[in-house]
Formats: sequence, C-alpha cells, structure tokens
Amino acid sequence: MTPAEMEALKAAFEMHQAMNVEVFYWWCTAIMFMIHAGFLAYEIGASRVKNALASGMKNILTLSVVIPTFYFFGWWIYNAFPGGLVPADAAFALPWSTSMGPDVQDMGTGIFWAAFALFGATTGSIMSGAVIERIRLSAYLILTVLVGSVVWILAGAWGWHPDGWLLLDLGYHDVGASGVVHAVAGFFSLGVLMNLGPRIGKFVDGKAMAIVPHNLPMALIGLMLIIVGFFGFLGGCIIFNGGETGWTTIYGNPTNLSAFAFNTLMGFAGGVIGAYLTSREPFMTMSGGLAGIITVAAGLDLYYPGLTFVLAICGGLTMPLVGKMVEKAGIDDAVGAVAVHGWCGFLGVVLVGVFASGYPNTPEGAPEITFMGQFIGAVVMAITGFIPGYGVSLLLSKMNMLRVPPKVEEAGLDLVEIPALPYPERVPARDIVEGTQPADEASLPANGALSS
Amino acid sequence: MNSSPITSWEGAAAYFTFADSPAMIAILCGLAVAGFIGFMATIIKHEKDAFDKHED
Repeated sequence: MTPAEMEALKAAFEMHQAMNVEVFYWWCTAIMFMIHAGFLAYEIGASRVKNALASGMKNILTLSVVIPTFYFFGWWIYNAFPGGLVPADAAFALPWSTSMGPDVQDMGTGIFWAAFALFGATTGSIMSGAVIERIRLSAYLILTVLVGSVVWILAGAWGWHPDGWLLLDLGYHDVGASGVVHAVAGFFSLGVLMNLGPRIGKFVDGKAMAIVPHNLPMALIGLMLIIVGFFGFLGGCIIFNGGETGWTTIYGNPTNLSAFAFNTLMGFAGGVIGAYLTSREPFMTMSGGLAGIITVAAGLDLYYPGLTFVLAICGGLTMPLVGKMVEKAGIDDAVGAVAVHGWCGFLGVVLVGVFASGYPNTPEGAPEITFMGQFIGAVVMAITGFIPGYGVSLLLSKMNMLRVPPKVEEAGLDLVEIPALPYPERVPARDIVEGTQPADEASLPANGALSS
Repeated sequence: MNSSPITSWEGAAAYFTFADSPAMIAILCGLAVAGFIGFMATIIKHEKDAFDKHED
C-alpha cells in the first residue's frame, strides 16, 4: 500500500468513526423519546378520567418548551458555569454562534446538544407526574423551563462537565445522573409540591385518602416504556470517543457498554424486587424498576453486578417507605416522584461514596472518589433542585398563578380547558361531573376515578 | 432570497441559512424567542378565559 493510499484509508476511517459517534447519539436521543412516551402514558393513566387529557397535554408540551429554551440558553449554561455561579466565556454555545447550526466540519455539537436537551425534558417530566390534576398548565411550563433548561444543567455543569467544580474539588462521580438529573428534579418537585398543596379530597381530617389511577394498566405500560427509554438515556451518559480512546465515562475514565449493561439490568431487577417486597402493589413494583436503576446509576461503571443488585433492592425497598413519609407530611406527590427520583437519586450518589471510594479520577488534580465528596455532592444536588423549585413556585402561588381554581379542579381540567374527550364512547365523564348522571348508574369500575 | 453563506461546498464549514450574516441571525433568534414568549402568553390567556367561563 502506498503512503497516499494509507492516507486515504486513514481519512476514510476517521470519517466513519466520526459518523459512528453521531449515529450512536442520534439513536440514544431517539430512544430517549420513549421516556416521554412513557411519562405520557403513565401520567394519563395515573390521573382520574376528568383530568386524563390535561395530564397528557403537560407531557406533550414539556418537550416543546424545553427543546427551544435549551437551545436559547441551556447549552450555554452547561458550558459557562462549570466553575460555580460566575460565567466563563462560552460564546460558542450561544444560539447566535455558528457552532449552533449545521456545519460540515462539526460532527458533535448538535448531537450532544440534542442528548442534553432530552435529559432536560426528562427533569420536567419527572416533576410533571407529581403535580397532576391541580397545577396550572402555564405554571407547570414555566417551572419546566426552569428545571429543564436552567437548574439541572447548572447542576450538570458542576457535576458532569470536565471542568466542573464538584469533580475537580471533590472527585464527584455520578455517571448515570442519579444526582444531576434525578435528585435535582426530585427535590425541585418537592419544593413545588410544598407550595402547590394537595389535590382536593386527598387529605380528609389529616388522613391521606387514595386517589387511584383511572387506568392502571396504561400507567404500568408507561412505566415500562420509561425503562426502555432509560437505555437511550444511560447510553447518552457515555462518551463515544474517536481515535484510540474508545468508550469513556463523562469524567474521562475508561468504561464500556458491557459495564452499563450488567448494572442497568441488575439494577432494574433489584429495584422491582425491593419495591414488591414492601408494597405488593403493581404501580409501586413497576416504579421500583426505575428506583433500582436510579439508585445504582451514579456507579454504573464501577459496581460489581451482585452489589448493584443488592443496592437496587435497598433502593426499591426504601422508595415506597419514603413515599409514605412524604404523604404523612401532608404532601400529595401523585406518582411518588420525590421518593423515586429525589430519594433514590440522592441515595445513589451517596452509595458511590460508600462502595466505590478510592477510585481515581482522570482530570489532572481531581481527587479520588470519597464518601465526603459524594455526600456533599448529593446535598448540593438536593439543594440546587429544591431552592429554585420552592422559590419560584412560591412566587407563582403569591401571584395566584400556580394552582387552578377549586371549582375547576372539582369539575376536572379536561372539561374546562381541553376541547376534547378522552373516552367519548365509553365513560360519560362529562355527564357525571356535571351531575346529570349518577356514577352508580354509569357502570363505572369501582376504582375511585371520580372520587372527588 | 439568497440566504446561502457559501458559493461552493469546497472547504465549507457553517453553511446554514444566513450563517454569514450576524444581523439576520440576531433577527431570526429574536423572532424565535418572541414566538416562544407568544406561545406562553397564549396559554396563560387560554387558561384565564377557560377558568373565567367556567366560573361564570
């Protein structure tokens, strides 16, 4: 082979390598849409009939507000704030930069931006389920932009960026986003729920009442779709490098999809088993799959799969208990988002400190993984989520912009603001909520769908 | 409207519409932001109208 032929072969190889990087993240992003298909199904199913479409509308619009705002300022925040709250120069990530559009010579920016935008939309969807049936759509979308295009990505800049202060100062390790996505979104949701208040009828004389899903099978299928989407999400957390480097984590240490495959599946199985043991209930058991993966996500690259399984069982076991504690505190988290994402995300970051201390980090000067580094990192994630969620929802509440009026809530959001019916030929929800047809004459299943 | 920033694909880099015109990019970016804000304002108005109508 002549030198010229070798050069041509090398150029072709490098081009195909760059194309493979794009192909990988393209499909990760596509699979991540499954997360939103799942949230759509499970929140519609978890709602009562009278709010089914309004809940779904929130999920559809989540993507439509996070994607553009992540383009306008989210990507810039990630690149400008790894050092803390003072922005560094990241003009290349501003929407008017030539980097932020089709460029023959840039086979990376767009595909990474897309994956991160979908991570952001996931944080909005995490909150979405918690606040169903009484939040104003406009308030929800404002809060979604805040968590999806500002708050989580600020935490991501600190805990994921190669120059992030949590990594460089504390050795923070969170490869699968237990902290930067799940803990942030879970604690953000907690802050919102504290100002939003419970649904009418949720607490009677201080006792929590069951407001059960109108379509539990749909909710379960939705949860399983979220699990499918997690494979795109977790794949997007790995760096597909060109050259001789191969796969690395977002922190630059070597890993591979095999490591993630072992531990993602063992985490799912352990979480399901754990949640079943403490709940015996299908919605919680299926949520346990999420809880298990989130509990082990921060250390997916490091754990022995047997350890992953045990840790995920612990996450699944404790998740329903934390959910009950939240409820006992008078907080109406309709789908357990605080327990599944907030608690298990927090726990996941801390567990890396317990079981994976001593692993080295690759950036020069970055300390190794330590318990204190992980614990402080987890607290930072929780606070970074909670404060803006609580503060902005309090402001919206004071402006009477957070919650729908009581009459609207009692009638159902679909009737008032959605020009469509979910089941026009099956369940005469409109007649029932207007009082023209008693529920017991409508042959409704005794599922509490019209309990309020 | 000639929006092409390139006259040849040879050596092309950023080639999207108006890539060589910062003023046009600023205008289009402003329009995109305005469209988004308008969408949010429309939702707030729709909610208010729907809630007022129901309460009446």
